[in-house]
Amino acid sequence: MRTTSANQFDNAILNLQRRQEQLTESQNQLTSGKRVSIASDDPVAAAQAERALSAIARNTANQRGLEASRSAMSLSESALGEAVEMVQQARETLIAAGNGSYSEVERKALVNKLKDIRGQLLSAANRADGGGGYLFGGQGSSNTPPFIDTPNGVSFLGQGGETQASSADNLSLTLDGGRIWLQAKSGNGIFETSHQGSNSGNAWVTSGSVTQPAELPYPAATGDTPLSYSIVFTDTGSGIVYDVLEDGAAIVSGEPYNNGKSITIEGRGMEVTVNGNPADGDTFDITQSNNNLSIFDALDAAMATLSQPGASAAATQQAVNTGLTRVDSVLSNLQAARSAAGESLNRMDNLEGRNSNLKLSAEAALSQAQDLDMVNAISKFKTMSTGYDAALQSYAMVQKLSLFQYLS
Amino acid sequence: MATNLFAVGTRALSVNSAMLDSVSNNISNANTEGYSRQEVKLATESSLETGSGFIGRGVRIATIDRANDPYLTREANQTASSAAADATRLAKLRMIESALPLGQSGIGYAAGAMLNAFVDIANQPQDLSARLVMLSQAEELAARTRAASDELNRTQAGIVSDLQGAVGQVNALAKQLADTNAKILAVNGTGHAPNDLLDQRDLLVKKLNELVQVSTINASDGTASVFVGGGQKLVLGSKAETLTLTRDEFDPSMARLAISGPGYTIALNENMLKGGSIGGLLQVQNNDLGEAKNLLGQMTTALAWSVNQQQSLGIDLSSPAQAGSPIFSVGEPQVLASVKNVSPPDILPLNLTVVDARYLQASDYSLVADADNPGQYIVTRLSDGQVNTLVDGDTFDGLQLNITNSIDNADKFLLRPVGNAASQMMRVLDKPSGIAAASPFTAVTQAANTGTASVESLTIKESADIGLPPSNGDAISIVFTSATGDFELQSPPGSAIDTGTWQAGKPIVYNGFELKLNGVPQMGDAITIEQTAYPMSNNGNALAILALRDADLVGREHLASGAETPGNTITNAYSQVIGQIGVSVQSAKTTANISSSLAQNANDLLVSKQGVNLDEEAARLIQYQQSYQASAKILQIAQRVFDTMLTIGN
Repeated sequence: MRTTSANQFDNAILNLQRRQEQLTESQNQLTSGKRVSIASDDPVAAAQAERALSAIARNTANQRGLEASRSAMSLSESALGEAVEMVQQARETLIAAGNGSYSEVERKALVNKLKDIRGQLLSAANRADGGGGYLFGGQGSSNTPPFIDTPNGVSFLGQGGETQASSADNLSLTLDGGRIWLQAKSGNGIFETSHQGSNSGNAWVTSGSVTQPAELPYPAATGDTPLSYSIVFTDTGSGIVYDVLEDGAAIVSGEPYNNGKSITIEGRGMEVTVNGNPADGDTFDITQSNNNLSIFDALDAAMATLSQPGASAAATQQAVNTGLTRVDSVLSNLQAARSAAGESLNRMDNLEGRNSNLKLSAEAALSQAQDLDMVNAISKFKTMSTGYDAALQSYAMVQKLSLFQYLS
Repeated sequence: MATNLFAVGTRALSVNSAMLDSVSNNISNANTEGYSRQEVKLATESSLETGSGFIGRGVRIATIDRANDPYLTREANQTASSAAADATRLAKLRMIESALPLGQSGIGYAAGAMLNAFVDIANQPQDLSARLVMLSQAEELAARTRAASDELNRTQAGIVSDLQGAVGQVNALAKQLADTNAKILAVNGTGHAPNDLLDQRDLLVKKLNELVQVSTINASDGTASVFVGGGQKLVLGSKAETLTLTRDEFDPSMARLAISGPGYTIALNENMLKGGSIGGLLQVQNNDLGEAKNLLGQMTTALAWSVNQQQSLGIDLSSPAQAGSPIFSVGEPQVLASVKNVSPPDILPLNLTVVDARYLQASDYSLVADADNPGQYIVTRLSDGQVNTLVDGDTFDGLQLNITNSIDNADKFLLRPVGNAASQMMRVLDKPSGIAAASPFTAVTQAANTGTASVESLTIKESADIGLPPSNGDAISIVFTSATGDFELQSPPGSAIDTGTWQAGKPIVYNGFELKLNGVPQMGDAITIEQTAYPMSNNGNALAILALRDADLVGREHLASGAETPGNTITNAYSQVIGQIGVSVQSAKTTANISSSLAQNANDLLVSKQGVNLDEEAARLIQYQQSYQASAKILQIAQRVFDTMLTIGN
C-alpha cells in the first residue's frame, strides 16, 4: 500500500502513545499492587472483592459481638465460682451448727458467719458487667441492681431469660439471674419434706429418697394439682404409730414407728426417715418439688431457726437438715450454671477459631480478586518496556530516511 | 518551422513549470489537514495538419486533478463517526463508574458498616456511644449516596453542556458548508474542479461526522446536501438549517435535539441519531445514566425503607418508650407530566407511594389512561416493556398508584419511582436515644419447664394488629401440649387463641412476631411473650436490624405467573451495580477500541490514496526539473535555428 508521509508520522506517534499508555497502566498496577482499581478493570473480580470486603467487615463486627459475650461469660463464670465457694462455706457452717454440744452463743457466731456469706452472695448476684448492665440481669432489669433485698427475702427485678449477643451461634450477654439464684429445685429435686411448725416432739425428717422411679406421683401431669402426703404420728400409749395420708385420705395407717427406720410409702416410690421422738399429733409433709428455691431464702430460714433463743435440739437439727438439703440443691444449680458458662466460653474459643478462618479466607478471596500477580506483572512490564524501547529506536531510524537527504 | 518550435518549447516550459508548481504545492501541503494530493493532467496539443501529415504541437494542461475516492471518504467518515461516539460514551461511562467507588470508599462498604454498627448497640444497648457511632455511620452512608448521586447529576449536566457545545459546532460547520457550496456553485461551469474548495467541503463533512453522523448527496450543480438523523436536511445547497437543543418533554434536566428553520421545529428521532460525539452523549443520557441512577436509587430506597421499617417495629429509649422514628429519608417517587399534556401542569393528577421498597425495580414507567376502559391506566415498565393495566389504588412493583384527579386520554406521564431517591438520601434521626434497639416484646421461658428449649430470637417482623395480643398489652403464653411440639397460644393463660406444631428450626409466627427456639420443648413447657419491661437493656430489635445484612432487600419481584423472584442482600446489590457498570465500561472500551481501529484503517486507506508522499514528490521534482530543462533546451535550439536562418540571409 502506498504510504504517505504525514500519515506515516501520525501512525508512528499514535502507536508510540498507545504503548506508552499501556506502559503507564502496567506501572500503575505495579506501584499500587492492585490489579483492579476500578470496576471496569475486571468487573467480576471487582464484585468478588466487594463481597469479600463486606465479609471481612462483618467478621470483625461478629468478633466484637463474640468478645462482648466472652467478657460477660468469663465474668459470670468467676462470679459463679466465688458463689460456689461461699455456698460450700455455708454448708460447712451449717454442719457445724448441727453440733448438739454448741451453746446459743456459739451458734450465734455461726449465724453471723452465714449472714456474712449471704451478703457476699447477694453482691455476687448483683455484679455489674462494667458497661452499665448486670451479669445476671436476664433480659433487662430496671437500672437498679436486679436483685433487691426486701423484708420478704431477695427478689429479682428483671425479665427472665438471657440477652442474646449478635451472633448466629446463640451466645448470651447476660445470664438468667432469677433462675440461677432464686429458682433451684426444692427438696431432693423430686419431692420436698417439711415439718409442721406446730410439732411438739423432737423429731426431724430427712430429705428422703426415691425407691421406685416408675411409681412416683411426681411430676404431676399438666393441669393436675400435685398430690401431697402427710405422715401423722399418734401416741397410742403403748407405742408411737403413724398414718400416711394422700391428700387427706389414709393409704397407710397404724404402722409402728421406729426411730431412724426409714418409712417407705408403698406404691409411691418414696422413702423418708424420721429421727427422734415424735409427739402425738406431730405431722411431716411431703410435697412436689418446685423450682422456687432461693439461696437467700434457704439461708434466711436456717438463720431464723438457729438464732431462735431456746431452740430445741430437734428444731435445730431439722433446720440444719433442711438447710443442708437446700444448700446442696442450690449448689448443684450454681454449678450447673457455672459449667454452662464455662461451656459457652469453650464454645467461643472454637467460634473464634472459625471466625478467624473465615476472615482469613475472605482476605484471601479479596487478595485473589484484586491483587496483582507480581511476577507476571513484572515480566509483562519488562516486555512492554523493551517493546517501547524498540519502537522509539525504529522511529528514530526511519524518520531519518528521506529522499531529500540525498538530493543536493 | 521555427515558429512552431518556439510555440512547442514555450508551451512545454510553462506546462513543466506548472507541474513543478503542483509538486511544490503538494510538498507544502503535505501536513495540511484534508488536503488531497493534486496532479497536473497533461494532454497533447491538437496537431497541425499538413500535406505530409500531422505535426505535433506540444503539450497542454488538461486539468488539475485531486487524488480522491468518494467511497473511501464515506467509509472513513462513517467509521470516524462511530469511533467518536464510542470514545465519547466511554469517557462519560468512566465518570459514572467513578461515581460508584469500590472498596472501603464505596457505598456498599458504608452500608455494611452502618448495619455492623448495630453489633455494638446490641452488645451494650444502654451505651450511648455505640449509638452515636451508628448514627455517624448512617450519616456517612447518606453522604456517600448523595455524593454518588450528585456525581451522576453532574454527569448529566455535563452531557447537556457538551451537547450544547457540539450543537453549536454543528451549526457553525453547517453554515461553512453552505457557504462552501455557494462558492463551488459559483465556479461550476468552468469545467475544472475547484480542488481546494472540494477538499474544504470534505473536511467539513468529516468534522460534522465526528459530531453527529450525517449523509451527503451530491447534486449535479456541484453542491452537496447534508442530512442528519435519518433524513432531516441540515444543509441544502447554500442554505443551512439550525440544529437546536430542546428540553425533554418529561424531564427538564434531559436534552433532546431538533432541527429548526424559519417557522418550524422538528424533533429528531434519537434512535436514528447515531454516531458522532452527539450520538455517544445521547446514548449515555438515554440509557446508561438513567440505568445507573435507577440502580443506585433502587438500592438506596430498599435499604432505607427496610431499616426504617424494622426501626419502627422496635422501641426507643424515650420515656415512655416510643416506636422508633425513621433513621433515613430518601427522595420520593416522582411523577413527571409531559409539557404537551392538556391538563394544567401545576397540578399532578396522580402520585405514587412506596408500599414495599423490597419490590421496587430499577426502571422508569410510562403511564397513559386507557382510552377504551375509563378508569384504567396502562403502565409500561420501560426497562423491559412489561405492561400492567391498573386502576386507582392498585399496587405494582412495590408501589401504589393513587389517582387524585381525572386524566385526559391524550396525557402522558413518566413515573420515576427511584431515580431521584439517592439525591435526597438523608439521615433524619439525630438523637442516639431514638434508635429503637429494643424489641417491644420479650420471650421468657418458664422456670418450671422441663425441656431444653431456650429462646434463640424473638423478632418483630411486621406491623402487628394492635387489637390482638401481644400488641394489645396482654401477654401470650405458648404452652406445649404434647411431646411432639404441638402448642397452644394462650391469652389470657388457659384460653387458646391459636394452635400449631413446632418443628426444630421453624419459627413460631403470630401477629407480627417470629419466635425461634433452641433445644426441644417438653410437654407442659411454656414460654411467655410479654411486654418488654426494660427497653434500656433489651437488644431484640438491634439484632433484627442486624439481620438485615442477610435479608433479600433489593429487587424482589412478583412474577406474572404468581411466583416470586428473591431479591439481593445489600452487599450483593452493590456488587452487582458495580459489576454491571464495570461490564458496561469494559464493553464500551472494547467497542471504542474496535471502532477506533476500524476508523484508523479506513483513514489509512483513504490517506494512502489522497495523501502526499514526500519521497514521491522529491522524485517528481527531479523528473519535472529535467523536463523543464529539456524544454528550455528546445527554446535554445529554436533560437539557434532562427540564428542560422538569419546567417543564411547574410
